[in-house]
Amino acid sequence: MFNFKKDSDTSRSALNKSSRGSSETLKRASVSIGGKTMIGPTVVIDGNITSAEDLVVEGKVSGTITATGHEITVGEAGQLKANISAKIVRIEGKVEGDISAGEKVIISKSGDVLGNIDAPRVNLEDGAKFKGSIEMNPEEKPDIKAVPSAKADLFPSAATSEKSNVS
Amino acid sequence: MFRSRVENITAPSANFQDYALCTTLHSNLVAAALDSVHADKHLVVLDVGMAMAATVNFFSQFKSKLFFFDLYSEAFVTEISEDISHQELVSLFRQALNIPDNCIIDICLFWDFFNYLDGTLIKAFIEALQPYVAEHTRGFGLGSLNSRCQLPNSCYGLMANDTLTQCPRSDEQRPVYPHSQRDLKGYLDYFEINKSRLMSDGRVEYLITRCNGSQLVKKPIF
Repeated sequence: MFNFKKDSDTSRSALNKSSRGSSETLKRASVSIGGKTMIGPTVVIDGNITSAEDLVVEGKVSGTITATGHEITVGEAGQLKANISAKIVRIEGKVEGDISAGEKVIISKSGDVLGNIDAPRVNLEDGAKFKGSIEMNPEEKPDIKAVPSAKADLFPSAATSEKSNVS
Repeated sequence: MFRSRVENITAPSANFQDYALCTTLHSNLVAAALDSVHADKHLVVLDVGMAMAATVNFFSQFKSKLFFFDLYSEAFVTEISEDISHQELVSLFRQALNIPDNCIIDICLFWDFFNYLDGTLIKAFIEALQPYVAEHTRGFGLGSLNSRCQLPNSCYGLMANDTLTQCPRSDEQRPVYPHSQRDLKGYLDYFEINKSRLMSDGRVEYLITRCNGSQLVKKPIF
């Protein structure tokens, strides 16, 4: 197990230990573009990753990925057997593991998730595959019209359904 | 009464093959199944079908926990073995459901799952679900009125308290076991069909509640 901290000198040595690739491959294993660090599609990491910046994962990761206050994107080529924790988690690839986000989780149409999600908001796009549980706790309360305090107003069809059984 | 609209609801990002033919359905009974929905209450919802964007979006406005298990695709459902016992089936359903102990489900979205199970499997499924069901638990299902009715190979989502979305499943249509309402009532054990509505194409929508636990007025169905 190791911690991958992109902003520290230890990160490169840790990455080198895990990626097991050629030196040329290792040079391309992790790049930082526009404030985001990318773990390339040839990289295989078995361990824990802690990032203090946004992270894009296109490789294979087993373990955990934590980026508190930042965004983690699992790209289309990404394959994770890992628990993920971040501010925003965007899934375009395949994830087996639990996902926790401080703000939101987005599973795009190419995403495939097996696990449990805990986030204030979750956005599942049509075409996305998901199996597991989703725990949502939105900060904003829903419109009062959506609250069945006045059932007849909210669910007019429910009110009418009690009048007859077959239409 | 259910009525299918020809309105195309394909999202720009949708997978064309699966979602281009999605339609909306009007429901008179799903609202009653949502009776326990309240802004301040934490909802627990079981959806036995595929996770649909519409369903997640609908419940995203509430404090909620959604379970999506797509039981339609479980091997023990699709490849029925004659040798397997009732208790083994119950155990397989419990494993597939993977619901935490002491978790009580408020809303069960059964969709048309019962139509893909024979009586033996329905009984096992209902028994497997029992630890997670309370008096207030309500379910919503779709069925066929008789064996001559065709069931579309579809997955369903909840768009609003009176609107469903229906999309074609990408996998093959599996064998269908259409159950009469009388037979289905027999399989549901502690559940009962509280209300039902006929659809124009011969399908029926069901409001399912606990036996003797509902405060709704129960009337004869047919």
